[in-house]
Amino acid sequence: MEVCRLPLSATQRGKLISAGYTSLSSLSSASASDLARDLKISDGEALEILNVASRSSRSDNAEGSHAIINGGVPGIGKTQLGIQLAVNVQIPPHCGGLGGRAIYIDTEGSFMVERALQVAEACIEDMSEYSRFLRKDLQTFQVGLQSKDILENIYYFRVCSYTEQIALVNYLDKFITEHRDVKIVIIDSITFHFRQDFDDLALRTRVLSGMALKLMKVAKNFSLAVVLLNQVTTKHTEGSFQLGLALGDSWSHSCTNRVILYWNGNERCAYIDKSPSLRSASAPYSVTSRGIRNSTSNYKRVKMM
Amino acid sequence: MAPLKSLEAQYGILDSNFQSFCASNGIFTEQEPTSERLKEGITQVLSIIDRQHQPWLNGLQLLEDAQQNKHVLSTGFKGIDKLLEGGLREGQLTELVGPSSSGKTQLCLRVAANVAIQHKGRVIFLDTGNSFSPRRIEHFVRQISGSVFNEKVMSNILCHSTFDIFSMFDVLHQLENSLKSQGHKGDCKARTLIVDSISSLITPILGGSGPQGHALMTSAGFLLKKLAHELNIAVLVTNHMVAGEGGNLKPALGESWKSIPHVRLLLSRDQGNKTCSISILKHPSLASGEVARFVIDD
Repeated sequence: MEVCRLPLSATQRGKLISAGYTSLSSLSSASASDLARDLKISDGEALEILNVASRSSRSDNAEGSHAIINGGVPGIGKTQLGIQLAVNVQIPPHCGGLGGRAIYIDTEGSFMVERALQVAEACIEDMSEYSRFLRKDLQTFQVGLQSKDILENIYYFRVCSYTEQIALVNYLDKFITEHRDVKIVIIDSITFHFRQDFDDLALRTRVLSGMALKLMKVAKNFSLAVVLLNQVTTKHTEGSFQLGLALGDSWSHSCTNRVILYWNGNERCAYIDKSPSLRSASAPYSVTSRGIRNSTSNYKRVKMM
Repeated sequence: MAPLKSLEAQYGILDSNFQSFCASNGIFTEQEPTSERLKEGITQVLSIIDRQHQPWLNGLQLLEDAQQNKHVLSTGFKGIDKLLEGGLREGQLTELVGPSSSGKTQLCLRVAANVAIQHKGRVIFLDTGNSFSPRRIEHFVRQISGSVFNEKVMSNILCHSTFDIFSMFDVLHQLENSLKSQGHKGDCKARTLIVDSISSLITPILGGSGPQGHALMTSAGFLLKKLAHELNIAVLVTNHMVAGEGGNLKPALGESWKSIPHVRLLLSRDQGNKTCSISILKHPSLASGEVARFVIDD
């Protein structure tokens, strides 16, 4: 009963269920006036309910104050995911998004602006198609966003050494105070400059854990999401291969959530490895010309024990 | 033999009021043969004050304090309670150490919910990694107390975010003052303090050129133990693990930290499983090496 999980008041939920709207798909095919008639509520309220339903079926908007690490082997699509997040955070609220800006910190030089343009254009097309589908009986409206606006709303920083990275993380607080509409900070990848040529390992641990604390503070104070992309290494322990984050266990402690991207045969999958409130699960996804989308094979939420 | 007036500049307390008080007792200079009586009186008053707040306790008073004030708080997990012979003890600092994603935060959240419901106590949660989840607490509260949503219980769990060790010291000092002056107000008594995780605050400052990191770590440990003893609360902290010798993991924070907590518990999670194991690394009255298993439900 997916309707039960919608963030509506109990009376609204009760009315929906007793009128026969038990699943999200039944709501998506209903028009606002039908809903108003069936539930005996006003048009405005019916529209509100439909908005909530469409918002909850959208994926990917990582709001809240958590720091998330995505770890993956090269080629799995980490940077693609980063670009998709930088675009998705800008989806306007009337389409179910956050309408915020993004900070993209690139340490490896893997951000491709032409790809970002491609993803932005695909996102706008999807948004106008979806809104047209949802508001059939109201006049169609413009999404109000163009692909070059989306590119303008991504603040891109390129860091070339670990000192620049430390300086930038220290500067983030001031920057975001001046640009309050930033809702996501993506760092790709956080450990790149610390893996090679860093002689003093104890110093490295101190610097990285201090950086993690500063990012946590920024995430909490400004209520935004901090997404860190990282590589994985395989550790051979007791005959079994264990996926571990680059830079070891002390770094893996420093994040709130962890999502591991991996190959399952021919399919890309994401697995929740650490989370305070979500259970371990994995989901397949694919990287298409339009960005990150659900896998074309049957979308099943596989629960890993 | 300087007159008191000339000492006023150096010692602010010897102002004109004090000087007239001394004059009324026949004291005009700093060394006075007639002030013996006054000295006796002062010594007597000080000894009376000392007897009210004796800095030492005898064995019998300690036993009374342990029996009446230092209760044992059940964790909510039968296996862990059995392992610890009751649960977490008030007045003790307990450390939970384990590799990443082994269940430390989940255990802390569940203990918080249990203390708030079963022991009707207030829980103070210091969160350093934005991992305090009100949704999860609500889930545990429902699980423990049935399906009744209890707003009072939820309002007894206080969460505060700290991101560096100095602000943690501030919070702890404020807590000490406010809890001491509060007294025992019925069922709003603070019973547990949880710091998740203290190693995130200490790792950035430990090591390096100076001994400050070390000193701060030890002071933090002592402050937590002092709060535990004086306020009769159970303090629970979490620690992570780092690479040790031979590729094994060992607890972070080094050798000096090992002797600070009263109780040290090692957590580990079976791979791909929801079952966790917990074992005693150090305990003042129980043997180490015992293992218990428990499951954190969804």
